[in-house]
Amino acid sequence: MQFQPCDARQERARNCTDDITCSCVPSTGQGIGGGSQGTHLCRCRAGAKDRPEHRCRLLARLEGRSSLKEIEPNLFADEDSSVHGDIIEFHGPEGTGKTEMFYHVTARCVLPKSEGGLEVEVLFIDTDYHFDLLRLVTILERRLSRGSEEAVRQCLARLFVVSCGTSSQLLLTLCSLETTVCSRPALCLLILDSLSAFYWTDRASGGESVSSQESTLRTCSRFLERLAVEYRLVVLAATQSLMQTAWQGPAGGPGEPEAHYRPYLCREWQRLVKLRMFFSKQDDLKTDTQFSLVSRHLKSNSLKKHVFVIGESGIEFR
Amino acid sequence: MGVLRAGLCPGLTQDTVQLLRSRGIKTVVDLVSADLEEVAQKCGLSYKALVALRRVLLAQFSAFPFNGADLYEELKTSTSILSTGIGSLDKLLDAGLYTGEVTEIVCLCVSANVAYSLQQNVVYIDSNGGLTASRLLQLLQARTPDEEEQAGALQRIQVVRAFDIFQMLDVLQDLRGAVSQQVSSASTVKVVVVDSVTAVVSPLLGGQQREGLALMMQLARELKTLARDVGVAVVVTNHMTRDRDSGKLKPALGRSWSFVPSTRILLDIEEGTGTSGGRRRAYLTKSPRLPTGFQEMVDIGTWGTPEQSPASQGDQM
Repeated sequence: MQFQPCDARQERARNCTDDITCSCVPSTGQGIGGGSQGTHLCRCRAGAKDRPEHRCRLLARLEGRSSLKEIEPNLFADEDSSVHGDIIEFHGPEGTGKTEMFYHVTARCVLPKSEGGLEVEVLFIDTDYHFDLLRLVTILERRLSRGSEEAVRQCLARLFVVSCGTSSQLLLTLCSLETTVCSRPALCLLILDSLSAFYWTDRASGGESVSSQESTLRTCSRFLERLAVEYRLVVLAATQSLMQTAWQGPAGGPGEPEAHYRPYLCREWQRLVKLRMFFSKQDDLKTDTQFSLVSRHLKSNSLKKHVFVIGESGIEFR
Repeated sequence: MGVLRAGLCPGLTQDTVQLLRSRGIKTVVDLVSADLEEVAQKCGLSYKALVALRRVLLAQFSAFPFNGADLYEELKTSTSILSTGIGSLDKLLDAGLYTGEVTEIVCLCVSANVAYSLQQNVVYIDSNGGLTASRLLQLLQARTPDEEEQAGALQRIQVVRAFDIFQMLDVLQDLRGAVSQQVSSASTVKVVVVDSVTAVVSPLLGGQQREGLALMMQLARELKTLARDVGVAVVVTNHMTRDRDSGKLKPALGRSWSFVPSTRILLDIEEGTGTSGGRRRAYLTKSPRLPTGFQEMVDIGTWGTPEQSPASQGDQM
């Protein structure tokens, strides 16, 4: 079924002379295209799906959400194409700074413009109870010029945290987030930490067929795509390196994590990812543990490497 | 979760359930991910009724987003930092065990100390059979000569035995139920020690079994939800194994488990002294707050400095 954007429907509603109800009218009964109280509406059969609160979506699109470049210029410097609606995957073994990077990006987004932030709202979906609000508060306090309670609280008011316990709950939550995203046009960033938390549980409960094991994740990917594309959010999702790589590196050398990546999540998800970042840690320096990330743009196949350290105030790029 | 049945939510009648079931929609997830127009046509149900039903089900079953500021207020009052009593260990843990988190560490001394100095209840889940009351008494005797205090501290330690994973899951469930029914008691459970998680999980791992890993992740989830929802500090022990390829020492239970604890401290024998001395070298290998790589000397024979203030009550922030 072809999906028709809301504007096209409005056009047809204005030109239509039939008096039949449209499935995309919000429950208040007011017509969107300036029509009178629910009388002049149009049946748009070619792909009408239920879309509540169209007005908000229009607004969101018109207002324009911040470009990815502004969120972290170090990482996304070369992204000249429009990056709204992009899904970026953070991949890496434990302790390599994926969650820290989320805090860094969140801090950047919720800080007020006067302090160098973007003053936009962030939605954080936490699937493995890893979210440490106190650490985020420490980072915010260090970055604010006056680290007062009030300032921190104002920043935190722009953050929303959801915890999901099972993959079905994640699916239902992603579905119900549409209304939240709709009613908050300042919401710009969706963080999912982490998508692979239910991997083993799903595999065991799905029976023998791989397809039924992956079905929940497939539907979650669909919903994520819908949220990203229609509401022009930037989606950052973390996946853990759960699988043993076949490659044996030289003793002590970390090697290239990117070259030995083994995708294990469902194909739907692999298809959605636009940019994949591989995190790794180098312990060989005696002073500071250095972290590095290699970002790979999946369409253009370009690779870029960044190095950073983690301090009290979060991530600092080198 | 959520097989559709009559009365699950307002508006879901038995007829509706039957009609949906006849079209292959049996669970909440099926209904939410289905195309409602198609379903309305095939089942002969009203489209608007289906939309309303979906809305209600989503409101009922999906997780609710909390505002960061409210969450912060709540955390400030509910999080505690519990000192382990061993100064060097506290330094590695950034002042102590945080409630709401899972920490991997050695635990016999920790439980005895928390029971004594912080007047809190400790639940010790023993799956090794390695806990002996005489050893606990010995540790407490090193701490205080007063017998009444020793007895009091011993009373605050509750020992439960669970020798396979299902028993352990049961124990954790019971604990949750018991704590949630405990209204305003003088001292509540603040630390849950699981010794050791390897003993119950490693028989399940290996080979082609998927169920083993799934059970391990389920245990991990139970521990984490216990820590978060009930507000206790969960401490687990793990063994060390050698990496098959590189020969280096690493924590057991593999990669998937390594993501579970928020903090990990490895204890290693100090070179030259052997296990007879009480001294161990503790390395911080994973922490959400401190840079890793710190190491401290820890004396697990008599736990470190006795002048660690026993009045360091947890409620920080």
